[in-house]
Amino acid sequence: MNIPDDVCDKPSGICMNISQWYVAGIRSAYIALSFSLLLCFPVIATTGENRDCQESGPLVFGVLPFISAEQLVFRFTPLVDYLSDKLKVPVRIETAPDFVEFARRTHEETRYDILFTAPHFFTRASQKAGYRLIASVDSPEMWAVIVVPKQSEIQTLQELEGKRLATVPPLGLATLLARKTLFEAGIDPDVDLDMVITPTHDASLLSSYHGVTDASALMQPPFEAASKKVRDSMRVIARTESTPHIPISVAPWLEEACAAEIAALLVNMGSTPEGKAVLQHNRFTGYRPGDPSVYESLDDLLSR
Amino acid sequence: MLSLLVWNNISIIQTTHTDRLRDTATSMIQQIARTSGNYMVAVDYATLEAYLGNIIDYQELSYLVVLDRDEHAVIALGKFPTQPWPVLEAHPAQVRDGVFDVSDVITVAGQPMGRVLMGFSLSLMDEAIRKSRTRGISIAVGEIVLTVIVTVLIGLGLTRRLGILAAAAQEVGKGDYSIKIPVEAADEVGRTASAFNYMVTEVSNRTRQLEAAEAQSRTLLAENRNLVHTSLNVQEEERKYLARELHDELGQCITAIQADAESIRDLSRGGDTRIKTSASAILDVSSRIYEVVHSMMQRLRPGILDDLGLVEALKDAIAAWQERNPDTQCLFNVSGDLASLGERINITVYRIVQECLTNITKHAQAGNVTIALSRTTDRLLLDMKDDGQGMDVSVPRSGLGLIGMRERVESLGGEFSLDAREGEGLSIMISVPLVGEEAQA
Repeated sequence: MNIPDDVCDKPSGICMNISQWYVAGIRSAYIALSFSLLLCFPVIATTGENRDCQESGPLVFGVLPFISAEQLVFRFTPLVDYLSDKLKVPVRIETAPDFVEFARRTHEETRYDILFTAPHFFTRASQKAGYRLIASVDSPEMWAVIVVPKQSEIQTLQELEGKRLATVPPLGLATLLARKTLFEAGIDPDVDLDMVITPTHDASLLSSYHGVTDASALMQPPFEAASKKVRDSMRVIARTESTPHIPISVAPWLEEACAAEIAALLVNMGSTPEGKAVLQHNRFTGYRPGDPSVYESLDDLLSR
Repeated sequence: MLSLLVWNNISIIQTTHTDRLRDTATSMIQQIARTSGNYMVAVDYATLEAYLGNIIDYQELSYLVVLDRDEHAVIALGKFPTQPWPVLEAHPAQVRDGVFDVSDVITVAGQPMGRVLMGFSLSLMDEAIRKSRTRGISIAVGEIVLTVIVTVLIGLGLTRRLGILAAAAQEVGKGDYSIKIPVEAADEVGRTASAFNYMVTEVSNRTRQLEAAEAQSRTLLAENRNLVHTSLNVQEEERKYLARELHDELGQCITAIQADAESIRDLSRGGDTRIKTSASAILDVSSRIYEVVHSMMQRLRPGILDDLGLVEALKDAIAAWQERNPDTQCLFNVSGDLASLGERINITVYRIVQECLTNITKHAQAGNVTIALSRTTDRLLLDMKDDGQGMDVSVPRSGLGLIGMRERVESLGGEFSLDAREGEGLSIMISVPLVGEEAQA
């Protein structure tokens, strides 16, 4: 599978080469960053007087538009407010009209200082724009599910042949994971069924709930977050392989000290009532130091 | 008043237009602020500009500028101003530069994402207000002209009909009750004309009735006066007759008795004294009877009035009254030729003076009495005044003295007047016309 030009302007082969080069570099940087983070953490956590980020001016918190802009602002405002307060520098949320544009801006523009994106997009951002992993959402791995209405006669993936499968935009993780699972089940999603693109996970779920499509592919967290009525009306017929949870990375132009300060704030967020409230708002249990190696497998996902 | 209405109408038009523009601007900018947030947070200015590009076509919209969180203009459409951005106005009435500048914060999930600035040109609104004002003034002027014409026409009609009414009223005032006003319409003037006609008819009927009653009253009064006059004449004739009979018959008899009594008294001289005594007694009684009869004769018909005239008769009567009322001073003044006034006038004046003096004795307790009798060319005037206790003329009197005096005077065609107040004396004045030989005398 070729990566669309919007994500990678180069032919897929060249991208793969560059990716591999980036992965090696990032791994080294990660080790150095983790080491320095551990050294700096006690000072940052106790005094909070590090002023490195202040010198970087207002920071842009780029978030993948995996939900509507309004929901996105609602969900991440407490987090950016928390960071603004602790870093003593304004942190602003920004997103993009769609995944492709977000990826393009990530790769081609120096727009996002802090990147909150899907795991598979992080690998590209790291490879193409030098984004550095500083933390990951401290939750179990994620996976996608393929669901059908409970009363549906569809029981297996094979029975999806000739049916309509709703999913998120093509570059969405759920789409990629579902496609991989379908391929592994012997179904060519480009030939054997009709993939119906919807803008969000909720839209994908509701399309089969309302009978517009026969099945829906979406990530498991948004499925669990759906209303009980909808969730109870659906039946999971397949789950994809797991992926590591959301990575948080910083732009290469950000000072190391600032990156370490942000990482420390995220990792230690659960240690203060204020931070816990932010985590609860995001339905996250916490953040842990990032490990780029766990995202290497996703490179294969994007290569399909 | 009409100018006030026009002014008020223009004011309402202006307020309506400015409020409409304000509401439109508020509605539009709120809508844009609400819907632009997603584009702002996604930094999707191209889509936002395409979306706003449709809105800028709105005629009154002069410019539209979207500012990001750093106040940088990310979209600028129309005739947008340069920085510094215009001062915002809360209402089009505050605008001085011809553009109503408004702004609103773009938010997403309650978070500010920028600001939208919009300018609304007032030219279209001003043109609409100008047209409305011109139309309003034209209508008002037309209405004024029409009102004046209609008012003049109505006024002329009303004036004509009111003129007829006024002329008819003048005719009625002159006594012409035969007039009738035509009722041309059932309006106020028409109803007034109907009421006027009804009033004239009623006044005519009542006038006729009053005239008849007055004529009847005059007839009755004349008859009454004639009756009184006749009665007084009869009374005077009867008194005159009685006086003459008393004088001619009883007087002669008493004189004879007195003569016989004197003869008996003279013949009995030296004889029986009892005869002389009886004869003297008869003389005394007869003399007394004569005095009484003479007094009665004087009261019934003062002979002096026929013999010496009114003035002497009055002097005699006043002198006799003065003797009976020595505490009251009576002054009698005479002027003019009072001889040959005529039997009726003489006895009337005499009786009035006689009645007045009797009343003064009975009621006045006066210290002074003045009687003035005079005549002019054609009238005899009597003025009697006293300084007694007077009387309240408003209190009805049971006696007939004053009424009799008034009747006597009016039976001669004269005038009788009385002026009196309690404690201020009393004054009686009579004026009797002298006619025929009485006036020539």
